[in-house]
Formats: sequence, structure tokens, C-alpha cells
Amino acid sequence: MSTIVLTVVLPLLAAFVVPVLCRVSPLLGRLLGPLTLAYAILLTLQVWLGMEGKPFSIALGGFQPPLGINFYVDRLSLLFTFLTLVTSLLLWPWRNETEPRQYALTLLLAASACGLALSGDLFNIYVFYELISVASFGLAAATRSGAAFAASLRYLILSGLGSVLALCGIAIVYLQTGSLNLAQLSQLAPEALNTPLGMSAFALILLGVGVKGELFPVNSWVPEVYAAASSRVSGLLAGLVSKLAVLVIVRLLVLLFQQESALHLMLILGLLGAISGELAAWRAKDMNRMLAFSSIGQLGVIFIAFSIPGETGLFAGLALSLHHLLVKPGLFLLAERWRGSLAGLRGAGLASPVAGGLFVLLALSLVGMPPLPGFWAKFLLFTGLAAQPSVIYQVALGVVLLSIVIEANYLFRVVMNLFQPAEDNSAAVITSSHGWLNLGTTFLLSVLLIAGMLFMGPLGTWLEGVAMQAADPVLYFDTVFSVSAIH
Amino acid sequence: MMPIEIGTVLYAGAIGLVVIGIAGIVLSYHLFRIILALVIAEAGANLLLVLSGFRWDAIAPIITGGAAARTMVDPVPQAMVLTSIVIGVGIQALALSLTLRAYQSYKTLDIRELQRRMSADLAGESGTPLPQSLEEPVGGRPLPAAEGDGR
Repeated sequence: MSTIVLTVVLPLLAAFVVPVLCRVSPLLGRLLGPLTLAYAILLTLQVWLGMEGKPFSIALGGFQPPLGINFYVDRLSLLFTFLTLVTSLLLWPWRNETEPRQYALTLLLAASACGLALSGDLFNIYVFYELISVASFGLAAATRSGAAFAASLRYLILSGLGSVLALCGIAIVYLQTGSLNLAQLSQLAPEALNTPLGMSAFALILLGVGVKGELFPVNSWVPEVYAAASSRVSGLLAGLVSKLAVLVIVRLLVLLFQQESALHLMLILGLLGAISGELAAWRAKDMNRMLAFSSIGQLGVIFIAFSIPGETGLFAGLALSLHHLLVKPGLFLLAERWRGSLAGLRGAGLASPVAGGLFVLLALSLVGMPPLPGFWAKFLLFTGLAAQPSVIYQVALGVVLLSIVIEANYLFRVVMNLFQPAEDNSAAVITSSHGWLNLGTTFLLSVLLIAGMLFMGPLGTWLEGVAMQAADPVLYFDTVFSVSAIH
Repeated sequence: MMPIEIGTVLYAGAIGLVVIGIAGIVLSYHLFRIILALVIAEAGANLLLVLSGFRWDAIAPIITGGAAARTMVDPVPQAMVLTSIVIGVGIQALALSLTLRAYQSYKTLDIRELQRRMSADLAGESGTPLPQSLEEPVGGRPLPAAEGDGR
């Protein structure tokens, strides 16, 4: 069971070995990363089958939880570990043969993301979060153009500001409770953190971690970075890193900040993000910017879903997150050849029908067309929102509906453009085909999407189980402090 | 006059440093100043973290010889501050190296100019018109433009 620690250790080790190995033997250097990730996936699956749905905790170094640092392994954290490894493997930068640095950074990102998903200690979460930041700055600047450097610099400054805020929030939590262990905090929080000061700690952490989660006021880095970075990096940041930031906030909400005002704060920021992101995407003139803004909108909707109290919210939020994680990287990969102005895409779908078809499929699921998984995720969100008596949730329902209308409008406009025959005088039709690698990855993601649609019943039941388990703070406490804790 | 406790002063100092840092990041246009402001804000956050475990009537948390004779300061925040200082230094070094790269590309450290050049680059790459500035009137300025104001 304790082999799950290797999912953090092995990629981290490989990240530092790769640059050296690439000098000795380029072939081995290129293979080391994917092999490590594949082995880590295997380990995760093994633990998954071994745990039989029961969460457990690992005390690192043999120091017991209130003092030592622990990893908390339940279905939710394992799911995110698995998704991290699979997504990093799918979006592995195969193409660049000259840059071992990018391999190292991707591995670093995977290791720290696994650590973030598993960690049961607030400060440890902060450290892993900073590691993710450093890796993503490097990846965002990896195209080495002036625009990429400037964009990642602005990203770094905003992110640095965010980590200062998050650190202040953590300091307040420690000041009020004297502990940073999430399990112990979950016992102390109802008294110690149910105060205005506790609320301010949540607001600070929300804003700080929200930088990566593309939360409303701190997301100005998103369009620039996604426009300047390569498609694989954009997919990784939009698909994976944002979800991990959301995961941290969800854990804190479940365990530490159960008061209503915390949920309302997140709901309002999510609403503003959803509406501003979708409107900006509607106005966007080029593909990458449109996808970036639409991802802000989607993340806003995910924040809205997680702000529904109880496991309904968790269930809906998880479904939306998984769906977004599957669809967004696919769209970004398709956008690699279609980057540039939307008007210039006229006829591009006719030139490469497979890519066009995949785009239509992903766009339909993103909007929420009935048989596709996107519909079921949004359906859960609507039933959850409609069941809440408070007015603000009804407003949220209206806003989400509006955002879907806007989203459908701009996505279908692109689809229309793709399949319209090009005019004769515009010779600038994009003729270059998608690389088989991007197309293959997108195809794989679409197959997963279709599989999700076919097995929607069992998938839904299973995901509800994950949400039920994650929504139980008592279980978290008992697991970490039980005598059977493995060390 | 009421005596002010030293703890209050320190807390006010920590929060003040964070506020100064944030103000610096938001208000200044020079990249180097922004990075320095980030350093100041980080110092404030670190101070707040140290304060969260500090006690005036306690000694340094070092066990010498036998058992601890007196109450000690909580060592956990101090360990965390060490970590966060190291992280902060790493981020600052990365920020400086990125600044250097950005300067090599655009020959400027003014963040407005940098952003303008970056948007122009991105727009040129994708073949879309430059995003309209919200600060500039659409129809041009009604007054004759001053010398050197050629945008």
C-alpha cells in the first residue's frame, strides 16, 4: 500500500536524472520519462485494487500524523493521482528532441501534482503547489519566444502574489488552531475557524490557490500564456493543473471551512468567472484565446458546482471536472494547427475531415448535447442548483444557463466556419495537416469520451461513491488517527 | 497614552509589509520594482508565519543536555518559514532570469510597453487585429497629440 509514495518519488527522481541521461544516451533519456510515468500508473492501479474502496493514511518517515506529515489516500486522491499521471503521459512533449529540460519539467509537474493530490498536510500542500508553479512557469516559457517569456513573467508575478496570499491564509489557520494537519484541523475547525478571521483565511487561500484554478479576479494570465505556450502545455495547464487547484480548495471546504459564507464567496467568484470568461470567449478573434477564455468560463462553472453544499455539489463538480479534463486538452491539441484567427479557418474542416469531426464531437460535449457525457455533468449541476432553497443558487442557475447559450453560440460559429467551403480569393486556407501524434491523442480522448457515454450508468454510480467518501470529514479523521495507519 | 504591545506592532508590521508589497505590484510599472515588491510581500508573509508560533516568555526550541527546562517557542512555524524563504528565493531567481530573457527580446522593462509588444506579437502571429485598448477612445484623441506620444 505504501508504494503509492513512489508515484511522487519516481517522477521526481526521473526529473533530475533525465537531463544527465540525455547527455549519455539520447534514446534512453527520451524513454525514461514515459516509462516512469507508465510504471507509476501501474502502481496506482495496483493500490487502487488493493485498497478495496477503504481509505488509508501513510505516515511519512514513521512520524505519526499530528506531528509528522502524512499522505491521505482515498478514492478521490487516487483518482487525481491516476489522472495526473495519465494526462502527463498523453500530453508528453514527444516532439522536441533537443530539449531534455522540457521532459524534466513535465516529470516535475507530474510528481508535484501527485503529491498535491495525496498530501494531508496544509503546508505540504503549499510546497507541492509551489513546485507545480515552478514547473509550469518553465513549461509556459519553453517555446522561447519573446511573447512566451513576457507572458510567463506576468504569470509568475501573479502566481507569486497568489502564493503570498495563500501563505498568509495558512499562517492565520496556524495562529487560530496550532495545527496544519488536515485531519486534526477538521476536528478543531468548527470552533476555531468559524469566525471572521477563519473566513478571511479561507478568502486568502481561495484567492492564492485560485490563481492556478483560473478563479475570477486572478486569471488575467490565462489568455496570454495559452496563446504563447505550445498546445500540449496549454492542455496540461488548462486540463490538469487547474483541476488540482480546485481539488485543494474542495478538500479545504469539506474539512475546514464548512460555514455557508465560504461557499457563497466561492459561488459568487465562480459566477463572475463563468460570465466574464464566456463573454470574453465570445468576443475572441483567435482560436487559442477563445479556448483560453472558454476554459475560464468552464472553471467558473466548476467552482459554482463545488459551492453546492453536501455531496451533491461534490458529485456534480467532480463530473464537470473530469469532463473538462477530457475535452479541453483535445481541443487545444486540435488548435495547434488551427491556431490563428478564427476567420482564417474557413474550410479547414473540409480539408481535414477527421480533425473537423473530432472538433465537432468535443464541442458538442462541451456545450452539453444530450447523449454525450457533458450533458450528464451539467444535468447534475442543474438538479443540484435547483434543489437549493437560497435565492443566490437560483441566480446561479440562470447564469449557468446563459453561459451555456453563449458558449454554444461561439463554438457553433467556429464549427460553421470550419465546414464552409473556402472562398476562391482567400488562398490562405490552412492546408497543413494535423500531426498524427496530436490527432491520435485527440482521437484517444474522444474514444474515452464515447466510452464514458456508453458506460454512463456504472460510471455515475462509481463517481457518486467517490464523492460520498470525499464528503465525509469524520471518515478522514478516523482514517488518519486510526491504529491501523500504515507506516 | 495607552501602551502599545510589541506583538501588535509586529503583526501590524507583517500585514503592512504584505500590503506595501501588493501595492507595489499593482502600482509600479517597472519590472524590477515589481519583483522587489514581491520580495517585500513575501517577507511580510514569512514574518506573519513566524509570529504565529512565537511566545515572549519562551526560549529557543533547542534541547541541550537533559529535558527542556522552560517552555519553548513553537518550532514548527520556524521550520516552515525556512522552507518558504527557500521557495521564495527560487521564485525570485526564476523571475529575474525571465526578466532578463524578456528584456533581451523586447529591450524594455516597462510592464505596459512589454504587454503592448507581447500583444502585438501574439496578434501578428495569429493574424488578428490588435485587441482594442479600453483606455483609448475609439475615434482617436480630440486634441492634437503631443510630441512623442505617437502610439
